[in-house]
Amino acid sequence: MPDKPIEGEKRVFMTGNEVVAWAALAAGAEIMYGYPITPQNEIMHYWTRLAPRYGREFLQTEDELSAGFTTCGGVLAGRKAFTATAGPGNTLMQEPMSMAEAMRLPTVVVIQQRGGPSTATVIYSQQEVTMTTLGGNGEGLRIVYSTANHQELFDYTIKAFNTAWKYRFPTFILGDGYQAKMRESLTIYDPDIRGIELVQAEPFLGKPGVPGVDRPPTQLRNTYNVEEELYEVLEGYFKDYEKIAPEVAEHEAFGLEDAELVVVSHGVVSRACKAAVKELREEGVRVGYFRPITLRPLPVKALRETAEKVGKFLVVESAQGQLARLLKEAAFGCPVEMLELFKPGVGITAEDVVSRVKEITG
Amino acid sequence: MRCISGRIVEAYIGEYASGKSEVAVNRALLLAARGRRVNLVDLDIVEPCYTLRPLKKKLAEMGINVVAWETREMMGLGETGSIFYPANRWALRFPGDVILDIGYGVEGAKTLNLVEGAATDPDLKIFAVVNIGRPMTGSVQEIVEYVRSLGRVDGLINNSHLGDETTVEFVQDGARMVDEAARQLGVPVVATTVLEELARVIGTRDAAGHPVWPIKRFMPHALW
Amino acid sequence: MSVQPAMPKSWRVDTKPHKFCPGCGHGLVLKALGQAIDELGIQDRAVFGCDIGCSLLAWDFFNVDTIQTHHGRTTPVITGLKRANPNLIGIAYMGDGGGYAIGSQHLVNAAARNEKITVILVNNTQYGMTGGQMAPTTLPGQKTETSPYGRDPEKTGYPTQGPEMVAAITREGAYVARGTVANLRQLKNYLKKALENQMAGNGFSFVEVLSACPTNWRTNAEETWKMVEEEMPKYFKVGEIKVPGGQKEGEANG
Repeated sequence: MPDKPIEGEKRVFMTGNEVVAWAALAAGAEIMYGYPITPQNEIMHYWTRLAPRYGREFLQTEDELSAGFTTCGGVLAGRKAFTATAGPGNTLMQEPMSMAEAMRLPTVVVIQQRGGPSTATVIYSQQEVTMTTLGGNGEGLRIVYSTANHQELFDYTIKAFNTAWKYRFPTFILGDGYQAKMRESLTIYDPDIRGIELVQAEPFLGKPGVPGVDRPPTQLRNTYNVEEELYEVLEGYFKDYEKIAPEVAEHEAFGLEDAELVVVSHGVVSRACKAAVKELREEGVRVGYFRPITLRPLPVKALRETAEKVGKFLVVESAQGQLARLLKEAAFGCPVEMLELFKPGVGITAEDVVSRVKEITG
Repeated sequence: MRCISGRIVEAYIGEYASGKSEVAVNRALLLAARGRRVNLVDLDIVEPCYTLRPLKKKLAEMGINVVAWETREMMGLGETGSIFYPANRWALRFPGDVILDIGYGVEGAKTLNLVEGAATDPDLKIFAVVNIGRPMTGSVQEIVEYVRSLGRVDGLINNSHLGDETTVEFVQDGARMVDEAARQLGVPVVATTVLEELARVIGTRDAAGHPVWPIKRFMPHALW
Repeated sequence: MSVQPAMPKSWRVDTKPHKFCPGCGHGLVLKALGQAIDELGIQDRAVFGCDIGCSLLAWDFFNVDTIQTHHGRTTPVITGLKRANPNLIGIAYMGDGGGYAIGSQHLVNAAARNEKITVILVNNTQYGMTGGQMAPTTLPGQKTETSPYGRDPEKTGYPTQGPEMVAAITREGAYVARGTVANLRQLKNYLKKALENQMAGNGFSFVEVLSACPTNWRTNAEETWKMVEEEMPKYFKVGEIKVPGGQKEGEANG
């Protein structure tokens, strides 16, 4: 059996879902649990084609509740486990991921957003931002990377496993139907040759020795007797999360030095925004570009600095203000006006962004 | 329109995203440009959202009979599942040439079983489309193994490319690898398909001596 | 400790006495399970999963690695764990609400896939921890907080026949039984066989246990015992329902 799924590096032409499967292999993911839902299916199709070649496992579960909880079980056994879902499946996924939050389980979940609410379209949207960042009956103790292209899907899927196992918070890759199905070229690589050290997984349960004899038993729960007990646990989690947030948060930006208006977007929409801002700047329009790569935690410091400096944000997203709500909270108190270009469930082109900016700047 | 030679019936199969639809559309257009009556049949039942449907109107205007659902005719594509367009069953009975775009999937070539007369049609040729930029068909050995898994294949098409980054060298590498794979499989190489701009540089024959079919990119417009 | 000779070795002494109500059947089931774990010598590789409901009070019951999950979700958590590390012995412990209502899809599919795990389901005919509501196993005419005039089978159905269902959907290799806290020797024997079945890699193992909930039944000792020994077996037949290679196999699978 070949040791490494990818030797060295290779330029390839793929769809986004395939990229995720290859990246998970490269990241050393050992088992995938999944339930079919469009537009993430090819992640499972390719994982099931590739996994046996590299001694990896797959279980097709009865639903996304089970996919999420079996993923928790896989992680508890000390394996790098992941799942992938979308839309209504993401809704069901919130229950198991809430347990992962409560128990600090390093689960990795790939979301390929589709139209909502409800079944809506299988095509595309950015309407799962609120649910993925803050879903479940919890406090958003999770890490969410929003990717924009296939190279990032590869890079950040590998990173997601490392982040999850390093910090022990459930970690999400937030893609969308376009990224899932689009075809483009990218470089796939063995993380080793890029100097990326893979964080080792270790078991929570079933460690060596007889519990109570050689070691204390590991007994994990998510239920508490009294309010104070829960509060104490959560306080510890919040402290940890606050500490790691600046290390984890990522963003990209340009043109901020002279911008009077900054276009803020995430994921695949940021591609259109980037092209639009470049075009506008060439025309002499003083517009900047800001894109949070982590939606949870947000790059709050950079965002607030930008908001302090620039009078206006134009928030562009394929949702009715789900990113905007996160931004407003992060930039609360900053003297920045939030303008919008919202197209829920619909793709956004560079032309859309250019004309909206021109409408604002006159 | 009238037929100027014998009936042409070609089915394009191959790995996911290998370019089957692209090649099929271009082939249909080429035949139509020669004044032939052409039926272009969408048999992608694995991923029905990504195929010829969005191009239907445009291709129809170009004189091709596109046998496929129109996106708006269907509800919940990919959710309701893979709905087989009823007329496709009789595709081989249509007058004129028939170009069949077959979806990928485990035993995707078996989709042809859904078409009446596919097993006995004397004119039917099944061509496997190969792009060496696809990781599971990236080497001669992988191409051979993959094509063997498809069942009956009558010829290979080298459609090696890297999207916008495609170079002549990459296409020619593909031509040589596909040529070697075809030799091992004992099937002919039908052609190298390549974007018109690069085809001009390469000429009428690829590095392995096979015909070059210049193609246009249509699929970006077909995104869903 | 010499005054407690009956306590299984795998029990965690420092969390005893346990927190179940006086007369609750859980303590008895967990005693039988503890003895089975001791006799099989699997304390080092057993992983005990407990559900929501009264079963979660067992989260620190054993000197065995334990995970307390969500209502009905213990089956998939233990399934995922076992798939990821087949050397572990996965035990999913739950009540009738968890197994037959909110988590029934997981029980059905784990059984159908013949997952190599052991599910122990404690049937006390109602939801104990949420305050005595009607469960899938509530007996006809039985009064609960959500069937205050007695369960009307015309409106709410008859008690779920769990082991019979599991037996019907599993293949050869599965072990299915219904024990009772009224016969602990037999129950321990069933639990041991269930675990052995998993250890041998045969397939799914499932034991339903008829148990008592005097608190929500509002019954004294005599009435409680009458319910367990006389009333419940009218609807729930005690015994082995499916044994790998056993004579019942042919009947069960038709």
